[in-house]
Amino acid sequence: MSMIEFKNVSKTYGNGTKAIQNVNLQVEKGEFVFIVGSSGAGKSTFLKLLMCEESPSSGEILINNRVINNLKRKEIPYLRRTMGIVFQDFRLIERMTVYENVAFAMHVVGAAPRDIRKRVPYILGLVGLQSKAKCYPSELSGGEQQRVGLARALVNNPSLIIADEPTGNVDPALSFEIVDLLSEINHRGTTILMVTHEHNLVKHFNRRVIQIHHGEVVADTEQSKPAVAEYIGDQEGWK
Amino acid sequence: MKIMKMHNAKYLIREGFHNLWTNRTMTLASVAVLISCLLLTGAAMLFSQNMGTAMKKLEGSNSITVYLDEDMPVLEAVQVGETLRSIENVKDCSYVSKDEALESMMELLGDDGTVLQGLSGDDNFLPDSYDISMKDLTKYDETIKEIKAVDGVSQITDYSDVADKLTRIDNLVATAGMWIVLLLGIVSLFIIANTIRVTMFSRRMEISIMKSVGATNWFVRLPFVVEGVMIGLIAGILASGLLFLMYHLMAGVITGILSFFTPVGLSQLVVPYTLGFVLAGMAFGALGSMISIGRFLNREGENSIEA
Repeated sequence: MSMIEFKNVSKTYGNGTKAIQNVNLQVEKGEFVFIVGSSGAGKSTFLKLLMCEESPSSGEILINNRVINNLKRKEIPYLRRTMGIVFQDFRLIERMTVYENVAFAMHVVGAAPRDIRKRVPYILGLVGLQSKAKCYPSELSGGEQQRVGLARALVNNPSLIIADEPTGNVDPALSFEIVDLLSEINHRGTTILMVTHEHNLVKHFNRRVIQIHHGEVVADTEQSKPAVAEYIGDQEGWK
Repeated sequence: MKIMKMHNAKYLIREGFHNLWTNRTMTLASVAVLISCLLLTGAAMLFSQNMGTAMKKLEGSNSITVYLDEDMPVLEAVQVGETLRSIENVKDCSYVSKDEALESMMELLGDDGTVLQGLSGDDNFLPDSYDISMKDLTKYDETIKEIKAVDGVSQITDYSDVADKLTRIDNLVATAGMWIVLLLGIVSLFIIANTIRVTMFSRRMEISIMKSVGATNWFVRLPFVVEGVMIGLIAGILASGLLFLMYHLMAGVITGILSFFTPVGLSQLVVPYTLGFVLAGMAFGALGSMISIGRFLNREGENSIEA
């Protein structure tokens, strides 16, 4: 069953920018996909379309076999609850502790306090931060902060994780840790979509890679196929 | 929207208070402007209400005193009375002798009335009179004309002038009050909206996180609406307290000058005015915050992914 499906999707902004052109792709449930491409290639638009922050100019987008093109405003929050978002800049709330930051995401969707008290420690354990629950974001390293971001994305048990350059602000040595974590989450059945610039990571983790260039999908390796670098050829193309 | 759960309500109220406190300068400004708006509205309404009762009293205690020619013999006075009673629109017509008139005047003046004591008996400067009340006040002017035409009537005190003036003042106060209140209302809405916007701006990351994890717009909105409603609630309570204090003091001063004037009692005003103020304040607060949230959610809420 496919998790995400794009059928002839194009997005042209009001100012005439053609951000996405005629994209066709399918991501199965349980897949781990890297999305690469230089800045301005249309990766952000791709994510915005997925999150329903923008709607496509033409074509059809399906998530969980459901067309999301013209969801009513009211329905968008419920779609978002099926996905967890990890941001490059972490987006943690400074005045809240690690625990509170994660609990906040559950709170916001109306979870019962009893469930929050059970679930948050479990998720913090999963990302290896149970000992930091009472720390504030400013007391953590970049890698740890991003793990909090990951915990927050996971806590509502989404079927899809969208990670927008999650290692962009993390020490390179710790980047692998983050992707390792994402892999582990992937093993538990969650579909992962990770946008990245980092060639090393993509090469090391040997997963499906979708390359976007000028709004079009220019390369797409299937999951089990050989290393990415061969397809992409030159490294600069991603940056 | 789903039914608000209890723990959510608690969260919302806590957030509302938190926002008020973090943002206290603006909160104070909003409360102050809203108070002045409510106070002016209240003052205008109280004025109008008192005018209303005063005029009703004027009409009720009625009406016209018809003075007879001086030193008219009693028999003739009785005849004049008969003629007056025969006028179509006259309901009651009672004879007030000059002595009675003096007494009631002394009563009206209270302590100051004692100066009139020397004028009793033959020194009484007041003429005999009839107190007349009418059946139909719309025919007031014609009836006055008929009464004036009766032989032996020297003068009529007619309150229509006074009533006219009072009505005119009342209308003036009402119109001017309405405009001022309208203007201040807009100003307070604007200031409340801005106060909420400041909070929202400082919370913009939280809002974007909330939206990205799937909070409904209502959930995002409500803490700010609560903030606005609380501004209104505080302003409403303070404004009614202030209004009653001022009213109490003013009423004291005015009754000191005009002893016959009895202001509308505080006790019957407290409940409707407080309730009205609090509700109006809360409505204003909610409206003000809704204005800025609507704009904010449309403009800034939708960019969790940077371009």
